[in-house]
Amino acid sequence: MKKIIYRFLLAIISSASFVACSDFLDRDPDKILSNEQIFSEEIMIKSVIANFYGRINWGQHVRDYEQYIYIDEACSSRENPDQTKDFGNGHWRVYDYGLIREINLFLKDLRATEVLSDTEKKQYEAEVRFIRAWTYFNMCRSMGGMPIVGDVIFDYKPGMDVTTLQYSRSTEAELYDYIIKECEEIAPMMSDAPTVNGARANRWTAQMLRARAAIYAGSIAKYNSLITPQITTEGAEVGIAADKANGYYQIALAASQEVIKSGKYTLQDARSDKGVNFYEAVTVKDNNTEIIWSQDNKYPGYAHEFTTGNSPFSHKEDIDANNIVPVLNLVEDFEYKTQRNGSLKLRDDNGEYIYYDNAKDVFADKDARLYGTVIYPGSVYKGKEVYYQSGQKYMEDGVWKNRIGARGSVDSEGDILTAENGPIRDNTNFTNKSGFNIRKFIDETPASGTRGRGSEVWFTRFRFSEALLIAAEANMELGNAADAITQINKVRARGGIQDLTSIDLEDIVRERRVEFAYENHRYWDLKRWRKAHTVWNGEDGNPKAKMYALFPYKIKDATHPQNGKWVFDKQAAHMAPYPRYFQYRNYYNFIDQSWINNNPKLVKNPYQ
Amino acid sequence: MKLKYKAISIILFILCLSSCGLDNYDEPSSELSGKVTYNGEAIGVKGTVESVQLHLFQDGYDLRTEIPVFVGQDGSFKALLFDGVYKMVARDRNGPWLNTRDTVLVVVKGSSTCQYPVTPYYMINNTMFDVDNDNKLTASFEVEKIAGNNTIESIFLLVSKTSFVDNVSQVARVNLEKPTTGLANISLDLNSLNERFLFARVGVKIDGVDEAIYSKIEKIK
Repeated sequence: MKKIIYRFLLAIISSASFVACSDFLDRDPDKILSNEQIFSEEIMIKSVIANFYGRINWGQHVRDYEQYIYIDEACSSRENPDQTKDFGNGHWRVYDYGLIREINLFLKDLRATEVLSDTEKKQYEAEVRFIRAWTYFNMCRSMGGMPIVGDVIFDYKPGMDVTTLQYSRSTEAELYDYIIKECEEIAPMMSDAPTVNGARANRWTAQMLRARAAIYAGSIAKYNSLITPQITTEGAEVGIAADKANGYYQIALAASQEVIKSGKYTLQDARSDKGVNFYEAVTVKDNNTEIIWSQDNKYPGYAHEFTTGNSPFSHKEDIDANNIVPVLNLVEDFEYKTQRNGSLKLRDDNGEYIYYDNAKDVFADKDARLYGTVIYPGSVYKGKEVYYQSGQKYMEDGVWKNRIGARGSVDSEGDILTAENGPIRDNTNFTNKSGFNIRKFIDETPASGTRGRGSEVWFTRFRFSEALLIAAEANMELGNAADAITQINKVRARGGIQDLTSIDLEDIVRERRVEFAYENHRYWDLKRWRKAHTVWNGEDGNPKAKMYALFPYKIKDATHPQNGKWVFDKQAAHMAPYPRYFQYRNYYNFIDQSWINNNPKLVKNPYQ
Repeated sequence: MKLKYKAISIILFILCLSSCGLDNYDEPSSELSGKVTYNGEAIGVKGTVESVQLHLFQDGYDLRTEIPVFVGQDGSFKALLFDGVYKMVARDRNGPWLNTRDTVLVVVKGSSTCQYPVTPYYMINNTMFDVDNDNKLTASFEVEKIAGNNTIESIFLLVSKTSFVDNVSQVARVNLEKPTTGLANISLDLNSLNERFLFARVGVKIDGVDEAIYSKIEKIK
């Protein structure tokens, strides 16, 4: 009997413990803010815009450096070779209507808010509309025309007809037109003063996007019609009619001229050492005069590990180094000061080595921008030489032989066998495997190469030199060769290389290749000129598709007259065993089946 | 008493492992196999990295999601399906054939076979491989124009260390100097290749088409 009573008591007590006396659990979420809370203060509104800025980092940039290994600027230098054989159907595809919807929601409330003055409202509205246009631009260059939703906020209520929410794809031309028109409209609403570190968009950022969208559209119109087969769909969701090219080139020229004539930015060319000058112009924030728009990074909170992951081994500050390294192809595409063919002089006409007193002599008289972009054997980083040595060479029975050791090894006489910077052909981690390191976007600030702190270096999205090169390209396409030559020569002069006297598309291609290396231009440029499938045709015999490395050797052979000199072996980069292979189907990313399932009005892209 | 608890807990545990069987059905078991052909002759293509595809569609469902069917290097394909009627279509502008994208109706009931007829731009006929005493491989073949206006971009001989041979999966490649239709020979010195086994194949890359057409594969070492 007693037992039963206890059981009853226990049951009552335990059920009582589920009843609460206060409203302890009924509280507002402390991590979700309501619209009223956000639009009650300017700083809250700003923080939403900051969130938008943080969500538009697509493709190659310093926060995601692994993306650099897929084209002809860099290769992996991690343990095992990268087995990528071609480009995926969704490679660097951007599809973010979630962001566009949030921007539209924000715009609606922003226009209604009363905490901001009208001029402030205009500036903010233009800024988020710029972010929206940039999002469309990234979608357009990866997939062609996509649905344009304007300011519409999609809202689903149970039972409604979903087909009203399903928009068809625009044509590729319509989407570029929309981006251009948005930029035209918002530019006058924005401030014309350069922003701090180019972190926020201003009038000139909008003009730059207008120029870039127009030059993309113009070149697609022109060059798509010159290849067979032309890549088009019946509804022109991809492909632009050839007769529209000139109109787009004129817009591109007008927009880039606005930036050039604004006088707010200049080509930074203050230092006498042109190599250091170019590095600072692209990478260093202090007193920078040419950054128009960047992905700005800051410690603490928003630093990145580009320097941590990619410093030379001898200069690393943490355990990481050499995750990705430049390929020789890029280095050779930098011209000599007075000679346009930039191939390194490694062997003479008889196939014999050319001997150099110092490793860096082989790079003498190269375009100074090479120094600002790539750390090459014998160049200086953080005030200390970066020493690369793959091994020693000696002559045996008239044939050159190699002595190679482990990373950072010396021979019995204490001479370096293989430097700690390599390059080495092996499967170890953090070892350099191409003979170069990246300098662009690599930070010289102390502790920026640690995992704990990271680097504050920005990623450049629009620079003044792009305005010049867009103007040069548009002028060239419109037949104004003299103006085009003047503009391209300004950019070339900063690298210290000879002026051009004539200009064609090939000159533009080469100039953009070296000026904008690692700035997420090359892939999109080759796509819009419809050159990607020939440059990267997947053939081993094609020196542009095949990636190369440069292995420096020091001669150690007391009996040889060239003892102590340097020689170089150009060899296939073993970390990128498959040549770059861009196929017709890669000109436009595939439309994902799940999107079509949600919206059957989406037309598939060609080759899909 | 203790035994009872044990028994009950074991029974409860076993109950947890079983399911109701309502939403479980068997995996597809009917095998559809076939070949991509021209005049009954199989077309050789690139068989790696899911390059050449056919799409199967089934009517009567909400969503028209294709079932990709990958074509092997001998032009054959295989898919495990449920019994039913399917429509087979080549992927847009994918293989080395005219992009007519004809629909082939396929009835799958148990193991079934079908052919997907195409009209290639070019065909490679009478391919012969010969290795002479100097370890020199010579491929002789005839390239025949079948249809379309696309010109030949390149004609090449490939050697691979596995039986998968195509422009990506290879250890040596030689291009014909002047690619054109008609009889041709390509030679390759095998002395520098130290692989245990070698397989050879000839391909024709057609201008403006992603995928090349290939000959049969032969083991040469």
